[in-house]
Amino acid sequence: MASDSVIEISGLSKTYGSGDKGTLALNRLDLRVNRGEIFGYLGPNGAGKTTTIRLLLDLIRPSAGSARIFGLDIRNDSVEIHRRIGFLPGELTLWEGRTGRQIIDYVGSVRGDAKGIAKHADELAERLNLDTSKRVRDLSSGNKRKLGLVIAMMHSPELLILDEPTGGLDPLVQQTFHEMMDEYRDKGKTVFLSSHVLSEVQAICDRVGILRDGELKAVESVEKITNVEFHWVDVTFRDAIPAGLPQQLEALPSITDVSTNGARIRMRMLGDFDPLLRAISSGYVETLHVEEPSLEEIFLAFYSGDKES
Amino acid sequence: MTGIVVGNTLRTSWKQILYWGVGLGVLGLYIDFIAMSPDIISGYADLLQAMPPAMLQAFGVSDIALLTTAEGWIVSVFVSEAAIFLSVFAVMAGLNICANDEQSGLMDVILSLPISRAAYLLERWIGFALIGLGIVLLCALITIAGIMGMSVDASLDVIFKSILNLYPAALLVMTVTCLLATAFRRRAMAIGFSAAFVVVSYIFNAIGASASGAITDFMESVSYFSYIHGEAFVLGSYNPADSFIIIATVLIGFALSLRIFVSRDIGI
Repeated sequence: MASDSVIEISGLSKTYGSGDKGTLALNRLDLRVNRGEIFGYLGPNGAGKTTTIRLLLDLIRPSAGSARIFGLDIRNDSVEIHRRIGFLPGELTLWEGRTGRQIIDYVGSVRGDAKGIAKHADELAERLNLDTSKRVRDLSSGNKRKLGLVIAMMHSPELLILDEPTGGLDPLVQQTFHEMMDEYRDKGKTVFLSSHVLSEVQAICDRVGILRDGELKAVESVEKITNVEFHWVDVTFRDAIPAGLPQQLEALPSITDVSTNGARIRMRMLGDFDPLLRAISSGYVETLHVEEPSLEEIFLAFYSGDKES
Repeated sequence: MTGIVVGNTLRTSWKQILYWGVGLGVLGLYIDFIAMSPDIISGYADLLQAMPPAMLQAFGVSDIALLTTAEGWIVSVFVSEAAIFLSVFAVMAGLNICANDEQSGLMDVILSLPISRAAYLLERWIGFALIGLGIVLLCALITIAGIMGMSVDASLDVIFKSILNLYPAALLVMTVTCLLATAFRRRAMAIGFSAAFVVVSYIFNAIGASASGAITDFMESVSYFSYIHGEAFVLGSYNPADSFIIIATVLIGFALSLRIFVSRDIGI
């Protein structure tokens, strides 16, 4: 194994069930995540992201293949691996009747350094604006998520495995989270982050793996993925779409798939906004709505040559 | 094994000792209170005498003569009733060992910590085994305090031992539930099969003790209720081998649970 690989996955497969009723959730996954990088694991729901994470954590067992973390086998050395990682599950469940502080102390004691960990946990909680004196059942879903982040990060693990980490967090806390991830990378630590939100991955990740139907379709730098990015743009005019505008837009090289509906015009746009803004300036624009493409669309664009266009 | 999970289990579930221990203790006090009145006891014995043997067994009675003494009354009635209530606790405790956490998703957080599956299951089992012991001891304490307070003519030693003898059976039901939960993964299935185990054991004991023959003897021998000998302590016929059989079964059952739990997927 290369010395700079923190995660090395080789031919990892997982089938749920057996025989004809078996469902292939992950198919011969090969992947390396390097030390000191933030790796985004992108895919639509059901693509196999959580299955991969659960395999890495030895919560489920592979049907074929193997994986190593820090050079250690995920099955035989799981306790040692878990000592050095932090994990935030996608659907976080905690002890409902206990306070954040009690859970932090308990997890800290299982990790073997309750006092030292608690100090760092306090710093993280303060930064995330989390009140650890409240019982879990009294926390909002966003605050539960913050507590999950504190628990995952409080022992300063060498590797963070985060499954959809920012779901339920408000934008300000998401920003703080992004800063924390940047600091993590600066310290030479590694983050493996699954998400189906492209903008989140763009904001913090160095490399991205795109998973679809249990198969890893691409591993690219974030820049490369960003280059294939396009937007859906909706423009609503106050009165009516100016005459000849749809044809004018279709003539622009960066705009395709123009459709109209009353005073509203929708299009797919690549690259800069300036040509579009100039074209629509002939009418009174009431609203302009820009929509991120779905992962599926990015994926299709990436492989259908849109990048070149 | 560090004992941290045992400690956490006790911290989160210690109230069960209070609720169940006091609940069963109050039942003990009620039976102590009746034992104060020889007329009620003998009247009850007369009533039971008219019943067929299977019905007597269902009431936990094999020797009517024992019911005419306060000591025999307490042991026969209380132990058989407490055994049923403790079985309910044991099923719940067995589910709490892993099934509830697995179904809720909490197990994903726990098993991402540096603790092996085997150590976790063992510590949870020990935690709930200690809670069960606490319940039995508290219930015995309250029952004995009632006997002393009401000046009932009964040997405290016999009463204490007969109540304590419920503990291995409670461990057995807890372990069987834990085994079913690790095997089936689904809480509802574990509850169903554990309840069936308790009910079938109870019926087998009642039928087995009321008739003789190869089949009925077998039925009695496989029922854990037949190893809870409250009356044997009064008659001086208690055989420690019976408790050892239950404890050996508990150990085998837990070893199987461990084997299944460490080798299968979690939370699917």
